[in-house]
Amino acid sequence: MRNLLLTLSVLMVISGCAREDGAPARPACPQGQLCLHRGNGAEPVSLDPHRSSGTWENRIISDMIQGMFDYSAAGETIPGMAESWTTSADGLTWTFRLRDAQWSDGQSVTAEDFVYAFQRILKPEIASQYSYLLYLIQNGREVNEGTAPPESLGARALDARTLELRLINPAPYLPELMTHYTFYPVPSHKVRELGDAWVQPGNYVGNGAYTLAEWRLGDHVRLVKNPRFWDAENVCFDQVYFYPTNDATAAERRVFRGELDMNADIQSNRIQYLLADPETRPFVHTHTYLGTAYLAFNQGPQVRTPALRDRRVRQALAMAVDRDFIANRLLRGGQVPAFSFVPPGMSNYVENGPKAFYADWSLERRQREARRLLAEAGYGPDNPLRLEIKHRNTPDPSLMMPAVQADWAEIGVQVQLVRNEVQIAYQSYRLRDFDVADAAWVADFDDPKSFLDLQLSTTGQQNYGDYANPAYDALLLAADREPNEGRRAQLLAQAEQIMLDDAPIVPLYFYVNKNLVSPRMTGFVDNLVDQHRTRWMCLRNRGQ
Amino acid sequence: MLRFLFRRLLVAIPTLLVVITLAFFLMRAAPGGPFDTDRILPPEVVAAMEARFGLDKPLPVQYVEYLGNVVTGDFGPSMKYQDKTVLDFIKEGFPVSLKIGLSALILAMGVGVTLGSLAALRQNTPADYSVTAIAILGVCVPTFVTAPLLLLLGKAVDWGLPSGGWNDGALPNMVLPVIVLSLPQIAIISRLTRAGMVEVLRSNYVRTARAKGLSEWTIVTRHALRGAILPLVAYLGPACAGVITGSLVIEEIFQLPGLGRSFIIGALQRDYPVVMGVVILYGALIIVLNLVADLLTALLDPRVRLS
Repeated sequence: MRNLLLTLSVLMVISGCAREDGAPARPACPQGQLCLHRGNGAEPVSLDPHRSSGTWENRIISDMIQGMFDYSAAGETIPGMAESWTTSADGLTWTFRLRDAQWSDGQSVTAEDFVYAFQRILKPEIASQYSYLLYLIQNGREVNEGTAPPESLGARALDARTLELRLINPAPYLPELMTHYTFYPVPSHKVRELGDAWVQPGNYVGNGAYTLAEWRLGDHVRLVKNPRFWDAENVCFDQVYFYPTNDATAAERRVFRGELDMNADIQSNRIQYLLADPETRPFVHTHTYLGTAYLAFNQGPQVRTPALRDRRVRQALAMAVDRDFIANRLLRGGQVPAFSFVPPGMSNYVENGPKAFYADWSLERRQREARRLLAEAGYGPDNPLRLEIKHRNTPDPSLMMPAVQADWAEIGVQVQLVRNEVQIAYQSYRLRDFDVADAAWVADFDDPKSFLDLQLSTTGQQNYGDYANPAYDALLLAADREPNEGRRAQLLAQAEQIMLDDAPIVPLYFYVNKNLVSPRMTGFVDNLVDQHRTRWMCLRNRGQ
Repeated sequence: MLRFLFRRLLVAIPTLLVVITLAFFLMRAAPGGPFDTDRILPPEVVAAMEARFGLDKPLPVQYVEYLGNVVTGDFGPSMKYQDKTVLDFIKEGFPVSLKIGLSALILAMGVGVTLGSLAALRQNTPADYSVTAIAILGVCVPTFVTAPLLLLLGKAVDWGLPSGGWNDGALPNMVLPVIVLSLPQIAIISRLTRAGMVEVLRSNYVRTARAKGLSEWTIVTRHALRGAILPLVAYLGPACAGVITGSLVIEEIFQLPGLGRSFIIGALQRDYPVVMGVVILYGALIIVLNLVADLLTALLDPRVRLS
């Protein structure tokens, strides 16, 4: 009994202490400094821009390294290291003038740092997952495949502050592309000296607003302000902590308790609830995002259900899905029903882009037409089409696939759902061991090409359904060669229309980005690309 | 005693070898690999990655090489977290799991032994029944239920405890995870203590002590308790390993940077070296702690002879 009383009193004292000082439980911030605590979704796989692949790594790396172009608080592409740039008449040669800037160890940022970085990321032994974004640069693919020496890459330093890039085709979207961390410079002097160890705390050198102070696995990554950053005087927070918050609901509690200032995700089905409460409503930030959830039909050489090669069958299936129900009744996080692959608001594209031809029809009309198309293809009550949907076991697909199953049952298609662990699902997609796959794509850069290239016949494995239409390929190729932006956008739109009519995929809904942000914060602006550099943020009534 | 120790340690080697072998091949047999993600990689990149981690070699060769490395203490780099080695994971994660696990066990011992003794002394009274009820509840309700319940309760009464995070192991951050982790242990320990105590209280030497006119307090604390907790000591070995390695659910809910969380993430992402490293550590831990429990039993109970 004595033990019990003792234990209970200890616990009461502990909770009493925590209560009395009232401050949220988070690491102490040095006197006179401002610290930001960001819930970052997951543990960074690597802080080397050449070995990273996730948005959560991007948030940390982009606070430490600045590329030729950067994102404003509102998510617009703005010059970063670039002071000015020119493009040749054929659109193939770009020349950048660098601003006068320093790495955090005092060395100057040079054009050579960019050249070195581009050559390094393309080295086969670096095994970068995103190196293909640099295939746009002359010999990029060859260097990456090891068939050409790194020096043959179409990137060279004309002098310490002038970089020249030679491209394989005109790319008006190059500035958008160069906001991606694969195009960031690395401190060549450090990487040459330390090799892969340059990313360790104590070694890390960047040219951005912050620099790496500490990385505790599974706990946090701590950055401190870089006094040598060219715009350091306008950076508000002195330190920023990034926490891996895999569980969005747990992170939500921590934000409301003041342990975190913000979290990069909100669980979809919590949003309505949080918006209804006047106390939590100011925390919720949602905005359309450059991402599309879709279903892919396996229709290529490794087809399992040959019916899916029939365009009428694919069209019937595509039109019968009730996107409105999925987005507005099931997910309820602000997702938008999708009738195109390229999300609305994408840069370098036509106004009111193409849509599937049935987009404005009522659900009843779509179901009627779907039954008719299936009957035409030889399927009906006596000979029902049987399919399997393979999907990932993550919350959103698990929630909506039964709805798709029911939608297809309405038009007489018998569907079996196969729910797989994420890695297993992707392996099946890669091996084409599926009829219908649940997939999603988030733009790597703000240009329709980031989406439309997926359905090229030459894309390979990532074109899950092996869609191949020579007309589509030809239009995308023509767009690549077109230096005029307006004409290029038209070509891309024509290609997308052809693809939507062929229905190799079923666009389901457009993503929303969901951030939980304390109303004490300023400088957080919702935007299409969901990029929020710490340097734009501050606290309301700072100093109090 | 020394011979016993030596022999047990010798047996541990093949045991560990079996654990390593099973884990190695089971992990590889699981469908999906470390590089299967939503972004499908060009074949050249996959080949380069596989070469980097030796995955391009035949499986038996990989196995032998892995064993060789483990013997020299090299658990290799993580395949996913490329800036970190498996030893980094263990060095940073194990102390967290250890701190939570041991705190929970100490708490569970204090509360469990007290409750168990109380129940035995007041056999078949409401106090006894309440302890039994608590114990059954503690065993039946899993931690992934008690943790959110406690968090909800915390929100209602606002006791000021943080709802997650490690914060360098600050006391307030540890309170809830430790309580949740200790609840099932309290239940089991109180049951074991009660059973042991009931038996001992009926034994001849306690009757002798009573006949000598000793006070009930002295009888219980000086004489009965020592015998009563013997089954407990045998249980504590595996329990200790259990709470240290079993905090993975709690680490996930309270977002603690422990080893269990690395294990789950490693397994889901097919990060072979991390999973192997944690499995080996857990295996070794269970073997050593069981041995310690056996030695302790011998120390406490003169009837046990180590041979």
